[in-house]
Amino acid sequence: MHCNACILMTESELTDVPYVTNAKSSLTTHSVEVTGMFGDKTPEAIAEELTKVLQPRGYALSVEKIQKNAEWGDFVYALPIALVFIVGFAMLQKAGLANLITSSNVSYGTAFIIGLIASVSSCLAIVGGLVLSLSASSAKEGGTWRTQTLFHVGRLGGFFILGGAIGLIGSSFQVGLTVNVVLGIVVGLVMFILGVNLLDVFHFTKRLQLSTPSWLSRRVVRGSRHDHYFAPLLVGIGTFVLPCGFTQSMQLYALNTGSFMHGAIVMFVFALGTFPVLALLSFGSLNIAHKPWKGIFFKTAGIIVIALALFNLANALATAGIISPLFSI
Amino acid sequence: MTKPILISIAVSVLLIGGAFWLATSSSGGSTGVATMENGVQVIDIAAKGGYSPRVITAKAGVPSVIRVETSGTFDCSASLVIPKLSYQKSLQPSGTEEISISSEQAQGTMQGLCSMGMYNFQIRFQ
Repeated sequence: MHCNACILMTESELTDVPYVTNAKSSLTTHSVEVTGMFGDKTPEAIAEELTKVLQPRGYALSVEKIQKNAEWGDFVYALPIALVFIVGFAMLQKAGLANLITSSNVSYGTAFIIGLIASVSSCLAIVGGLVLSLSASSAKEGGTWRTQTLFHVGRLGGFFILGGAIGLIGSSFQVGLTVNVVLGIVVGLVMFILGVNLLDVFHFTKRLQLSTPSWLSRRVVRGSRHDHYFAPLLVGIGTFVLPCGFTQSMQLYALNTGSFMHGAIVMFVFALGTFPVLALLSFGSLNIAHKPWKGIFFKTAGIIVIALALFNLANALATAGIISPLFSI
Repeated sequence: MTKPILISIAVSVLLIGGAFWLATSSSGGSTGVATMENGVQVIDIAAKGGYSPRVITAKAGVPSVIRVETSGTFDCSASLVIPKLSYQKSLQPSGTEEISISSEQAQGTMQGLCSMGMYNFQIRFQ
């Protein structure tokens, strides 16, 4: 439908139908609002009947729009906003946040501050990126606060228990170089797929996501729907082994404490320090998912997540010695 | 509709340009030269919030030692990876770590990174 005369024509044709009392066509939304006495017919059946009326004129009616609108207009706002965040992130790294830590002794206070710094540092690229992609995707799929809470409970609890465990046994959880690289690539790819899904413009990754034997994307993103408790908890605990430099040095410290309680508290306090930023990312996206400008938010988040995914992938490949480092901060 | 698009493009171009300027302005980094101590070539690197110096020139074919110093280093630079040597270690937050390089390994350009890859340094054996 692309002319104003068509509006009048479709409206008059539809109101000629005995049981239709009123019909209102719109050119901008490509829709027609029909009121009348339909009895107990389903909306689909009505659309089918009315299509027969309009078919000679070359129109078809359906209940929902057949062609899904990708809302490209959202990118006008999403792209600059995403770029502001990406440039801001790069500038934060240049600012030399790590130099703010002057003490070489780890008290619980220092562990908390290291956590705070870690949450806005390079770790944000991997842990924060993962949290943003998972929580925005989960919110988009209609997830509740429960999924997000379980993730954070899993993270804090996992850091406490695993921190205590490495303190006690004194043998590190530290993963080897190959595992580190593989983890980096897997997280990067999962983030990339979730990021493209958030953009909501290409539909092939939706299929890709379903066919990927990735328990992560399938269970965590859709977990909320089936009231899955286990998966978000497990991902939260899993962040303990994500390649994040700050986490690794805290683990090394916990390792040297030689006591369960000391190691557990240090790792817990560190995780607590990272909590404000991560909580903002996950509960923030849940909140925004119900706002009218959610389309812009999801696209912004998608662009940021894709950028961070590429950053992580390039870094993982550089660590493996496959490519020379692209980023030098 | 065209006005927001134009503003959006202008802001994007400005940001991308700014990011490039930011990335290139400090890519030169600090440079250093290896020193000789008791017949062994020593390459000193400080690790905290990145590596310094970022580019070190050294003599090729000489038994060498990379001496990495950490002082209150809790960031990624404490988690050192040298792909060519298959070396990976989480360094103590404060201390000195010595990594020996045989004369055969002291060839070409050796890249060192933190385990997440965003900090790096380069040793050029010449």
